[in-house]
Amino acid sequence: MRAWIRRWCALTGAVILTAPVLHVQGQGLRTIAIDERLGMAAGLAVGDSVRFAAMASAPSGQWVRIGAITRRSADPSEIARSEYRVRLHLDQLQSLTGVGDRIGRFAVRTQENAGAPGSASGTVAGPDSVSAAINAMAFGFRAYPAAEVAIETSATFRVVNRFHRAIGIITIVASAIFLLCITLLKVDERRREVGALRLLGLSRATVVRSVMLEASLIALLGSALGAGFGAAASAIVNWYYQGVYATPLRFALVTPEIVAIAVTLSLLLGIVSGYLAAQRLVRTAPLELVGR
Amino acid sequence: MIARLALASLTRRRGRTALTIAGVAVATAMLLDMVMLGSGMRESFRGFIEQQGFQLRLTPRGTMPFDSEATVGGAQALVARIAEDPEVVAVAPVLGAKLFTPRADSVVPAFLLGIDPAVQGDYVLAEGRDIAAPDEMVVNGAWLEATGVRLGDTIRVASGYDAQLRRFSGEGSVRVVGRGRFMMLAGGEKVAALPIATVQGMGGEDLRDRLSVVLVATRAGADVETVGRRIEASDARVSALSTEAALRFVDERLSYFRQLAFILASVSLITGFLLVTTLVTVSVNERIGEIAVMRAIGVARERIVVQVMLEGLVLSVIGAVLGLGLGIVTAKWLNEILSAFPGLPAAFDFFLFEPSAAVRSLGLIISCGIGAGLWPAWRATTLSIAQTLREEAVA
Repeated sequence: MRAWIRRWCALTGAVILTAPVLHVQGQGLRTIAIDERLGMAAGLAVGDSVRFAAMASAPSGQWVRIGAITRRSADPSEIARSEYRVRLHLDQLQSLTGVGDRIGRFAVRTQENAGAPGSASGTVAGPDSVSAAINAMAFGFRAYPAAEVAIETSATFRVVNRFHRAIGIITIVASAIFLLCITLLKVDERRREVGALRLLGLSRATVVRSVMLEASLIALLGSALGAGFGAAASAIVNWYYQGVYATPLRFALVTPEIVAIAVTLSLLLGIVSGYLAAQRLVRTAPLELVGR
Repeated sequence: MIARLALASLTRRRGRTALTIAGVAVATAMLLDMVMLGSGMRESFRGFIEQQGFQLRLTPRGTMPFDSEATVGGAQALVARIAEDPEVVAVAPVLGAKLFTPRADSVVPAFLLGIDPAVQGDYVLAEGRDIAAPDEMVVNGAWLEATGVRLGDTIRVASGYDAQLRRFSGEGSVRVVGRGRFMMLAGGEKVAALPIATVQGMGGEDLRDRLSVVLVATRAGADVETVGRRIEASDARVSALSTEAALRFVDERLSYFRQLAFILASVSLITGFLLVTTLVTVSVNERIGEIAVMRAIGVARERIVVQVMLEGLVLSVIGAVLGLGLGIVTAKWLNEILSAFPGLPAAFDFFLFEPSAAVRSLGLIISCGIGAGLWPAWRATTLSIAQTLREEAVA
């Protein structure tokens, strides 16, 4: 417990702004911070005064001044939430909602590197042991380490991630079939040509290598085009969804690792399909290939 | 004869025909899945809402049902006033609260619904019997599993904590009489239902004569939106949310999946189209001499067109039929992945099979197959017979 160096209290509640700016009040008003989206939707700016109440049906409200406009952080758990956020001083919200001296949650910061093995503060409790200590003596509330909260709040995106992987697997199967089909067609088109080359003395191994090389080049070229297309699509996806959800969160990322995986996979598919197609070709007698 | 020729052409290279059919099957499966995803969420949610039998939901002004802990006071008077509306046939008040069940070494928290057992629309009874007394409770399977309580047991529960005095508040004894399937709550969520008057009593002054949501059933043929506006006008504390408005809200929340479904469905269609076009084009190129001979001996252009397009059609139909089966299997797999989505009702389906979706997918793929045969068919009928025969003879 001695490791606690700062505390914040926050009361969650629903606040309804009942009127847009009508006039600027004096400097004595308390300040609030509003969501950037609310500012845009209601035409509010820093310095404007608004009257707000906890319920839309409240006969009167409190006048406050907008002291800041906040932008949503890149938090996956926030993007599906469409409601606007207003931040105000704790005591003012308690008074506005009439809940008295109550809070919804509070956050605790432990010393940096606390609990880490070998750290200077190795004897100081870390987040896990602090939350365990709080839970041992708590009644009516529960402490969660930040890492646990992060896992919980990112559950939505973990599910979406698994879904994308599944779609990726189906796409790879479809691509493999497509590539094998195209390679077979290309090889079939050149049956006479290959038959003639075989009759001239070209070895089976050379035919197999040339077909595999060709399929690999097609796969490489296709994956290079695909990487470019993916980067462009990713930019469009980010631009579109960042606008839709008013968030700086990046929805699609094309990293060098992803490109490397895609190119490697594509190359492997190309080599395998080239090999299978070439095997069909070299197993056929040269005379049969030339149509005799 | 034309059909036999088309089939003979396809069976000549069995390997690549099989591969093309497999490619079309995968494309159809993806297309079917995406069509199911595009409409499934909406229809699944509509099913839930309509199963409740209420067309309107009234919430504290500016909130969605149970999105916040906001409540409305004067519950009895509000319900009585709404019931007076000539278009309203049933009114079901609901109050959301917390329920704490102390066990030997822990406390099981749960979501508590205060309902009117006579008109409730929140759960369907799966086991036991419904609430018939103020101290009787219906719970879901997750709650029974977490607490180890059995139907028929009488237990102590509480609605809150008094942290300063370190004791429970709103304590009482209840008898668990039934297990229900709560339609709108997430799968793993523990939930219990008690008569609303009991929940209001357990909550003390904070919940006295208050409610969170009012479900309203209107008479058949009534204009639900008009009834909602009339109720909103009569009481400024509530917002009315119709089934259609709720569906629009769900559409907005899950728009990502609809857009993804549209993009992937388009990609699947293009892939299927390209695959069939490529195969039929190559097949026509290989048989260019054969087609020229057929033309030279008097076979009409129309018959050549029909034969080439029939090849594309056969590939598409066989691939599409196989793809339907594959699509249903993959939809089940994808649905299992998405069913872990936090906060969604357990029985919510992202992929809902509807015959119309299957017909649409089949129709699209078969249209693509017919379209895919157009270019090679045109090429086959416009070739110069003499030149082609000469080139083939030289080759």
